[in-house]
Amino acid sequence: MTDVTMTINGQTRSASVPPETTLLQLLRENFNLTGAKLGCDVGDCGACTVIVDGQAVNSCLMLAGQADGRQVLTIEGLASREHLHPIQKAFENSGALQCGFCGPGVLLSAKALLDDNLDPSTQEIRDALSGNLCRCTGYTKMIEAVQEAARLLREESRTQLTHARPEVATP
Amino acid sequence: MKRRGRGIACMWYPIGFTVSANPSAATVKMNEDGTATVLTGTVETGQGSLTVLGQIAAEALGIATDDVHVVSADTDTTPMDTGAIASRTTYVTGNAIFLAAEAAKAILFEAAAPMLDVKVSQLEAKDRKIQVKNYPQRNVSIGEVALRAQAVLGTPAIGSASWNPPTVALDPETGQGKPFATYVYATQIAEVDVDDETGEVEVLRIAAAHDCGTAINPMLVEGQVEGGISMGVGMALQEEMLFDANGRHINPNLTNYIMPTSLDMPEITVDIVQGFDPTGPFGAKGVGEPTAVPTSAAILNAIHDAVGVRVYSLPATSEKVLTAIKAKRAAEQKQIPA
Ligand code: FES
Ligand code: FES
Repeated sequence: MTDVTMTINGQTRSASVPPETTLLQLLRENFNLTGAKLGCDVGDCGACTVIVDGQAVNSCLMLAGQADGRQVLTIEGLASREHLHPIQKAFENSGALQCGFCGPGVLLSAKALLDDNLDPSTQEIRDALSGNLCRCTGYTKMIEAVQEAARLLREESRTQLTHARPEVATP
Repeated sequence: MKRRGRGIACMWYPIGFTVSANPSAATVKMNEDGTATVLTGTVETGQGSLTVLGQIAAEALGIATDDVHVVSADTDTTPMDTGAIASRTTYVTGNAIFLAAEAAKAILFEAAAPMLDVKVSQLEAKDRKIQVKNYPQRNVSIGEVALRAQAVLGTPAIGSASWNPPTVALDPETGQGKPFATYVYATQIAEVDVDDETGEVEVLRIAAAHDCGTAINPMLVEGQVEGGISMGVGMALQEEMLFDANGRHINPNLTNYIMPTSLDMPEITVDIVQGFDPTGPFGAKGVGEPTAVPTSAAILNAIHDAVGVRVYSLPATSEKVLTAIKAKRAAEQKQIPA
């Protein structure tokens, strides 16, 4: 058995699991975080995407032990009790998901992109989502939603900047 | 060298089969707080049909879509529905819900007529109110009417209905007849680049014009069209189930069964051609499956426009396109007189 401890959605969680346990299994079976989906289990579909230390990863390809001591964000940690994350809001407003099976993975791939780049080009968005297969939507509205989310997040960071600006004494 | 081509394909698609029974049933209940509850046996698979069905009930009752709670897909408790199949939900289930809502509304009108001192025929349901036609200032809130109907008159405002596109058998001798209640039409145009040295095809743009009768929810219609196009792109160029000599499926996984990713998708322009079908709810027909029908034909026609070859089996993989290009070149060589 391997002992693992990691921060998941801001909370420290520990488990003792067989060494071959994937991060996806750990999340779904030990921690009951079933937002990340098991689509293929071999890294083809992206339905299991979570963010580990700022990077979008296929959690079916990562061992639980490899995530030991790291920061993990799953879809359950994206919205707060009060409101949806701007990416979720944008996806909802543009009808960017249909069956939603690919959704948790797509949203986290989009988040990893936007954490890095608040003004991505269409090509950069296509690249960021290329590991997330979607059978329903044709990706078109997802790409629009990521653009919209980027706009919302830019606005948010602008207002935060203005609010955070220290009082400057006028000469 | 990359060669550009454009191709066009048109289609019609049948909605609401009539060769056998194809019913949907629904119940609509008007609540005393002004909300409504819809019971339907159909199932939501992400296409947004429960939203559209809620919109149909809301429009019929003159309330907002947010006021409608749709309960679906429980064979113990919801009315029978043939299923979320055959692009029939908006049309067939929508008609059942429309009729059920109209039945509930008739009870509301009976209750409201004496309250407003007019005949039932002078009433309309609008903006969460029952009001006198042309005199909207004479109104009562729909919740108040629902409460009066049930608590005073003893006639709760509930309607149940079913709808079945009239079943007509086909002629047993000729197989001819009217197999469907209505039809939708579409045209898609594809623009592609074909690399004549590798046979690789890239779909750059697709313009899709679709008739679905009244588009009850245009955003969801667009979503269906875009999704259908992605399936059509896969069918045209990538997706293929492979079998070995024993008939065993040899690519039952996403490693070897290739489907479009965000990088394979063209730029898509959707044009919803507004129509009106008097047999559908508020003029609506359907949109689901038809969206994937013309895509591969348009792409294959575009390949022909670009490099002058016809590929007759799908998917048109690079190998097939290149083989066809080489065969064409060889044939042209032969024709040059020595
Ligand atoms: S389940 Fe991990 S990529 Fe498909
Ligand atoms: S919304 Fe169904 S797979 Fe993406």
